[in-house]
Amino acid sequence: MRKIIILLLVVFTLVSCRKESTVSDFPNPNHRIAKSFLQQFETVWHGMDQGYVFWGADTVDWDARYEQFQPIFAEFDSRPANHPVSEYEYQAAYAGLFEGLLDHHLMGMFYSPKGRFAAYVNPGQNDYMHTTSARAELEKEIDHLKKRKDLIKFIGYEGDDYGEVTIPGTYFALIKGKKSGELIAYFRFTNFYLNDIATYHSAIPNGVSAQAALKAFYGPRYWEGINSQASYANNDSVVGIIMDLRGNGGGNTGDLSPYIASLSQGTNLVGYTRVKDGFGRLDYAPWAEYNIYAPSARIKTEKPIVVLADINSVSCAELATMLIKNLPNGTFIGERTYGAIGALQPNSEYMHDIFFSGCMGDQDFMKYGAEIYRYKDIFAYYIYTSTFHMVDKDHNPVEGVGVQPDYEIRYNRSRLFDDGKDIQLENAIYYIKNGRILSTAGSN
Amino acid sequence: MKKQFVLTLFLLVALGCCHAQINPAEVVVKPNHTKHFSVGLLGGIDRNYHIVDMSYMVDYKFDKYAPGSTYGLQLGYTPVKWLSLRMDVAMVQKNYNRTHKPSIINIDFYDSVTNQYINIPLVAMLNVGNVVRLHLFGGGYVGYWLQSHHKGLTEGVFGYPTFDEDVDFSTTESQTRDNRLDMGLTYGAGLSCMLFHSLELGAEVRWYYGLQDIQKPYMTNLNPRYNTTFVIQGGISYWM
Repeated sequence: MRKIIILLLVVFTLVSCRKESTVSDFPNPNHRIAKSFLQQFETVWHGMDQGYVFWGADTVDWDARYEQFQPIFAEFDSRPANHPVSEYEYQAAYAGLFEGLLDHHLMGMFYSPKGRFAAYVNPGQNDYMHTTSARAELEKEIDHLKKRKDLIKFIGYEGDDYGEVTIPGTYFALIKGKKSGELIAYFRFTNFYLNDIATYHSAIPNGVSAQAALKAFYGPRYWEGINSQASYANNDSVVGIIMDLRGNGGGNTGDLSPYIASLSQGTNLVGYTRVKDGFGRLDYAPWAEYNIYAPSARIKTEKPIVVLADINSVSCAELATMLIKNLPNGTFIGERTYGAIGALQPNSEYMHDIFFSGCMGDQDFMKYGAEIYRYKDIFAYYIYTSTFHMVDKDHNPVEGVGVQPDYEIRYNRSRLFDDGKDIQLENAIYYIKNGRILSTAGSN
Repeated sequence: MKKQFVLTLFLLVALGCCHAQINPAEVVVKPNHTKHFSVGLLGGIDRNYHIVDMSYMVDYKFDKYAPGSTYGLQLGYTPVKWLSLRMDVAMVQKNYNRTHKPSIINIDFYDSVTNQYINIPLVAMLNVGNVVRLHLFGGGYVGYWLQSHHKGLTEGVFGYPTFDEDVDFSTTESQTRDNRLDMGLTYGAGLSCMLFHSLELGAEVRWYYGLQDIQKPYMTNLNPRYNTTFVIQGGISYWM
């Protein structure tokens, strides 16, 4: 009998050997109100720990970051009134916490009570960036295009940003081909908010002409009837198409089908995506195919299509670049893209609570913007981060890596600004005319 | 189906026992038994309870249990009538089903997971009775996670793709995350009786109580996940 009792005791001891879960100690980061520096840090750290979608690929030791920065934020709370935390210290602490994270969409905004000061982080900045702004480059490149002697037709709309609605800059040109009568069609979008214009049409200020708004909405390709029976692209005289996505900051993936996949003939597998499905850093749902489908109104062409993209081509622009590069008649000329390809769900206050990953933070930020923090006595925060982890169709990483060009022609500031020459566009035109690029240096 | 299986199992044991009662002379296991070793086959059904805390992820729900099956070999050693040692080599499914029904979109995501384990339990059995024997047993088991298959519906950028695939345990991610070594307690009770001279027919209920998290400790705030598996199985063994 004694043996049985001992055996039972051993059994009960072993039964109690299961580890207890601690996840309930850390509430949903989307709904937590932080009242101190340390609470804000804990909310942010645990929110990222549980909801950041790139832990399967990221090399940052997030546990080590906790050990390093938890004492710093705890010390902030213990500061006497005559030695308050400075904005510089606050910024440095959050910059250090997020340094080196892979997500190139990631932006973090952190606020002290009543907006006394704020910190902003954007850890995905690349080593290689242009020294000039995308806007300045766009103007120079369009200027070069308009001055070309072989230019036959040019239509351009600069676009604008009205806060609630961003109208894309849209450009269309016809350039002479190699032989007499041959044409090259050129398209450029500065972002992919083309469909959004329809949704938010009423938000466009009255000062903007309906024609301009429509032109932006439909894009020059639609405007010119490119996808219709009278299409330029379907016209035998057009021997090639250039889709210029340099400096395109991305936008809504809903634009990809009508404006990019319409250059293809069916389903385009650009890669695979997955979402988080648990609290563990490596808790993922299986990979799912990321297909972009050609619309019924598509361009039936086997003519060469060149996509021009650069380090300032971001997000949707990178997906569009991948799509065209994957086409049998597609070629990517330019330089590697930015590498922010993990798709995001919209910044709705609810989206985090569907997959418990992606954008998270104080709900008022999403409703009212950063201004709200001037009036709130809390340590608020907002983190803009990807919902989907994406790899390319061969399961190669793309986040932080970008899309690699078939022919690398790097941005050349002096040629563009001093000589007025757009060597990337020159190479694209030359490629369509001759099947090869002008410069062999840097080709992949 | 499950009820039919359990009823059939116990009916077979009961019939065997009736046969043994009618022919007591054929019963081999007597107080002064001469045979110590037995070897046999077993098979049955199971219910796996996947234990995980989903905290504020309230839309994610695990089914209380998921059905599976088990089969394998059993080896017995009975040095004295009232005490036996038994070791099995059993293939045990430790499945789970998870649904995800976000309150703000009308989609039912799901993930049906079939996990195949090999378990090697070693138990001490207390035996009561002569012709018809009652067994109470307890011990431990070691095991290995052989295979995992996921089938379900997930979120895509465009639409809701389905998936139906095996987990690749060879990836770095899996090797970081998945703890394929299984270990824990096993205990239960059974009923058996002898048929003819050397055959024993038995049925039992058994619990596999996992003490190993199915994840490796790859992060500080790991949310532990355990399996508890309830098995109903029958077996036939040959005494040597």
